[in-house]
Amino acid sequence: MSDINSEVKTNSSIPIGRMLRSDTTGFTFGCLLPEPEVPLFGDFVKAPAQQGLTEIIGIIHNIVIEDDLFVRQLIAAPDLPEAYIQDQRRNRQIPIEVSVLSVGYSSENGMMQGLPPQPPVTLDYIKHCSHNDMITFTDRPDYLALILNSKETPVEELIGAALQRASKARPIEDRALFLLQSGKELARLLSDDLSKLDSILRRIQVKT
Amino acid sequence: MGLELNKLSEQVNKMGATVASRSAEIEARLPKARATLEKITNNDPVLEKKIERALSMNWTGAIPTSEPVHEVFPCPKHPDRANVAAADGSQVYPDRHGIAIYYLINTGSIIFRHGLDEAPICSSYPSLFYEDHDLYPNEVLIPSSLVNARRDIAELRELAQIAEREIKTAPTLLMLDNGLLLYLGLQTAEHRQSEEILGEYLETLGEIESTNACIAGVIDRPRAANVLRLLRLYDMENDMFNTDELRSLGNYSQLTDRMLFGTLQPGERSAIFVNASPQNLERYMPMGQKIMFYYVNAGTRDQSVILRVEIPEWVANQPEQLSLTHSGIVEQARFGNGYPYVLIRSHELAVVSWTERGHLDEMVGGSMRRSGLSAVISRKAQGKQWTNSAKRRYGQ
Repeated sequence: MSDINSEVKTNSSIPIGRMLRSDTTGFTFGCLLPEPEVPLFGDFVKAPAQQGLTEIIGIIHNIVIEDDLFVRQLIAAPDLPEAYIQDQRRNRQIPIEVSVLSVGYSSENGMMQGLPPQPPVTLDYIKHCSHNDMITFTDRPDYLALILNSKETPVEELIGAALQRASKARPIEDRALFLLQSGKELARLLSDDLSKLDSILRRIQVKT
Repeated sequence: MGLELNKLSEQVNKMGATVASRSAEIEARLPKARATLEKITNNDPVLEKKIERALSMNWTGAIPTSEPVHEVFPCPKHPDRANVAAADGSQVYPDRHGIAIYYLINTGSIIFRHGLDEAPICSSYPSLFYEDHDLYPNEVLIPSSLVNARRDIAELRELAQIAEREIKTAPTLLMLDNGLLLYLGLQTAEHRQSEEILGEYLETLGEIESTNACIAGVIDRPRAANVLRLLRLYDMENDMFNTDELRSLGNYSQLTDRMLFGTLQPGERSAIFVNASPQNLERYMPMGQKIMFYYVNAGTRDQSVILRVEIPEWVANQPEQLSLTHSGIVEQARFGNGYPYVLIRSHELAVVSWTERGHLDEMVGGSMRRSGLSAVISRKAQGKQWTNSAKRRYGQ
């Protein structure tokens, strides 16, 4: 890796949250605002499953900041001083809920694209995928069909964000080719939906 | 079967009507009470004589101070920079049906540095009590009242430590979410513990006094009627009343001081009074910790919130400290819907949820098993666990 873009998170050893709930198609984890690595829409993350035999790979498709009655009554308070805001943000343990679409998993047999055999378990640690994880996983474009078929995600935005992340994990000289190959796969998958294809391609086009 | 709400609907409807009717009757007594408050003047020798006799009969009224009893005081300006701290405690009582006998006190505290943009400092300190001398201070299992008293001491000690540190940077207000007169509902058998606890409590109040921080106990929706007892005393024709007459509120029955001071405008406080309870005058006053109180409206124009604020005499006697309790509580209540923000947060930091209690029991059980002991709950507790979970009914 000759060029690491600073926008892409690199430290995959730091947990970013813990599992709240899961099923075969995806999972939701919770984290707090002061966590060192705040997750972003389109990030690739991984969660352990099957007692560590596999790691599920997923893409963040929704981030929800929960409220409670205490926060709601503060909304109406006039001239809320910064200290109260900081108390709510930093000290109160209201989790951010992050939803992830499962797109594959890794095991001793390598990376697989498709739904994992088992979902992760409650309170397991969630981590960011490293650049190498992302490069290896997105080397084949089969995961794009899984995203396109998902019912509860903003498909076009998610594919755009995920491809940008995976692209920026690569050396600069490889990025255009990666996006071009991904675009070809999308053209094949969306041959009957040209407006959706156009919408996604606009999001991933390489600026020259 | 549990609580069948459908069988309660008629009773609930009747209750609503009764509560509304009773409330109207009680409200009708207020104008007379407020008129009497207006009539009372300071240094009235007749009233002073009545108070003197009442005090000899364990009267629990309010003794006027140098402030006119009907005077209203606007909210002073809050200092640009001040520290406001609060501590609260919660407890897990010893459970003879549990896997082991122990009790827990969890103290939560928050230090709010008013005038700085930084996040407040939050802490919580859990303490587990399991030694024989903790559990059986009088050869029987510690009563819940004694656990409560130890929790109150823990809250005050936490505030004393905060005061010592924080006073170095700015004027410091400490808050508790209850009155400052320690309630010791202990049986005679626990008299020695009661004496020790009260002694420690008063000593800690003294430590706070020596730091030059001020302290206030804040009571939401107070039910006290000390000032109404003063009005009742004023109404009596002479000082030849008996104990029963003194105990009764007469025309002011079922009223509370909170209702009496319901005319306070947002931010305003009432005059300060001395709590005439025997505990205060016989135990607190000789130690220089006589407890006084006032009422304050910590709400808004749309919604009054009358709080009772208890302060030691040394706070009442120092205008700057008194002013900080008044403005500090009103300022904090702006962001707590009429109740001080720091008190809401300290409670949140202290509270032990049922889930957390379950996790603690699991930890205790694990520790016992590792030590070769059996860790089982009683059959009764087990039965409750089975039946208290969410009910499932089939075919209904």
